[in-house]
Amino acid sequence: MRRGRLVACVCLLGIFVLALLTSLDYSLIDALGPGPGFFPFWLSLIGAVLTVAILVETARSHSIPTGSILPSRQAALQAGGVLIALIAAAALLEPLGFRLTMLLFIAGLLLALGARSPSAIVLTALAGSFGVFHVFFYWLKVPLPIGALGL
Amino acid sequence: MVDTFQHLLAGLTAAMSLQNLSFALIGCILGTLIGVLPGLGPAAGTAILIPLTFKLDPTGALIMLSAIYYGAMYGGTITSVLINVPGEAASVITCFDGYQMAKQGRGGTALGIAAIGSFIGGIVATIALIVVAPPLARLALSFGPPEFFALMLVGLCLITGLAGQSLLTGLVMAVLGLLIAMVGIDPVRGAPRFTLGIPSLYDGVGFIPVVMGLFGVAEILLTVEAPYREVIKTKLTSLLPSRAEWRRSLGAIARGTGIGFFLGLIPGVGAIIPTFVAYVVEKRVSKTPEKFGQGAIEGVAAPETANNAYANAAMIPLLTLGIPSSPTIAVLMGAFIINGLTPGPFLFKERPDLVWAVIASFMIGNVMLLILNLPFVGLWARLLRLPYQYVCVGTLLFCVIGAYSLQQSVFDIGVMIVFGIIGYALRKIDLPIAPLVLGLILGPFIEKSLRTSLEMSGGDFSIFFTRPLCLVLLLVAIAVLVGSLLRLPPPEVRKSSA
Repeated sequence: MRRGRLVACVCLLGIFVLALLTSLDYSLIDALGPGPGFFPFWLSLIGAVLTVAILVETARSHSIPTGSILPSRQAALQAGGVLIALIAAAALLEPLGFRLTMLLFIAGLLLALGARSPSAIVLTALAGSFGVFHVFFYWLKVPLPIGALGL
Repeated sequence: MVDTFQHLLAGLTAAMSLQNLSFALIGCILGTLIGVLPGLGPAAGTAILIPLTFKLDPTGALIMLSAIYYGAMYGGTITSVLINVPGEAASVITCFDGYQMAKQGRGGTALGIAAIGSFIGGIVATIALIVVAPPLARLALSFGPPEFFALMLVGLCLITGLAGQSLLTGLVMAVLGLLIAMVGIDPVRGAPRFTLGIPSLYDGVGFIPVVMGLFGVAEILLTVEAPYREVIKTKLTSLLPSRAEWRRSLGAIARGTGIGFFLGLIPGVGAIIPTFVAYVVEKRVSKTPEKFGQGAIEGVAAPETANNAYANAAMIPLLTLGIPSSPTIAVLMGAFIINGLTPGPFLFKERPDLVWAVIASFMIGNVMLLILNLPFVGLWARLLRLPYQYVCVGTLLFCVIGAYSLQQSVFDIGVMIVFGIIGYALRKIDLPIAPLVLGLILGPFIEKSLRTSLEMSGGDFSIFFTRPLCLVLLLVAIAVLVGSLLRLPPPEVRKSSA
């Protein structure tokens, strides 16, 4: 965990320094008072200072567990599968439409997560895609995308 | 007082309309479901169900979302008792005695007393809310931008100081949340900030995709790593406690109500602390403290009552001052904003019809939850047998709909995925998420009140120190931070004493 926290602190420090530099491009103070860069500038500065303090505290502390926070291979594969499925769903949502995308998303993800009952997978995929679309689009009037195939 | 009573009556009439009763009932059922399903907490659950309310009128939408929130607080108990896994963080302490009671064949009684205690705690806290909220809102109406700035700073400091184990990490997360809130068009001058030339960022980073990512997606990534356990086989026949158990529980329920209510008024305390305090107090006053952890009914009654009293009382800072006390309340605040409403004293003045209907719905919701939880507890328990794969997929489906449908933007799904990964990483390295979420939602309000204050004074910072109330609030903020520093021993000591 300790190494993970150090990496996170470095990333945070990078974000705050970048934000600090960017906020200097905006006006800090103008004739009307504080400009668009005023609040972000001070936030970034405070954030950077605090992150350095955590970095030092973490580096010097012996109490933060040093064990790995990485998941097992199996868990990592499943978590990776979830992320890939989400990215694919985002990419296909507008071209394929909600119903087809979710049909594939749900069926694929259930298989990837270890569900083995074909009937349950098919029923869930149909309910989660066509059923949910019907509820949201027609009953709740929530706009969901319809793809090139009209689905 | 007469005004309050009239408003409450009007609110009750609105909340009792068939449409709003249906919204409250749907919210209670969905909330209990969220609470029952391990791994899906109230914040994630409330966030992912926001799309259900997009096309409802604001009153109906907020009644449903509030019902989801306190329904989830109720439902979390069931998993604590039956599988020793809390459905949400506030039910952790219920595992100690609730699970032991279930192992002794008294699972039904544990769930019964939890439902009754939650009902009493919720109703009493709502009555107190009705009494306390109007004068507090009237007081807040006299606040100017400097006072609001100081007040929000106090809220943020409380949340930061009390949320995590380390004040430093809490502060950094709050600052990060505030900085993310700066992305988009500057509300005062109209200049784009931190948009990286991406048009989708001109409106800022959407609160809903961020929350769905941090809570929903991150939760699922953690769940696939550690799927939850099997339900223990217990008979849920005797739901009502015996006379002796009643006698032992009544005091616990009364004390739990008081503790939950008063701690609910303080932003940042969170739902866990009241339950722990109630449990510890109960153990202290008990004549048989050795029975705690072995299936003592007071060990279930006190924390569960405190949990629900807290949930209702935590609405007071939101409704009267516009300060969210916890991530879930921040999600509710986001729902208010989506509906074009800003929680705070002006809402009481401008939309009393809505505020009082929502408050009145708390009462009705608590009655509904008692009915849902007592006779149908066996049905909820059966839901625990649902394989986790189906829960994961259902959650992700709602996350995608929620992130996309607010602005019909695939970009927002991307934002959700990115924040899902961030949320997962933050949990792994034990950095608190609550201050980040609260910084994100309070960011625009804090910046606006700071800049308006400075414009009022011509850039002179003394405006914050020359107004007595503002000065007092700033001193409170400093006291909270210093207090948090003094309260927390160095990390080494904390760890070894844990």
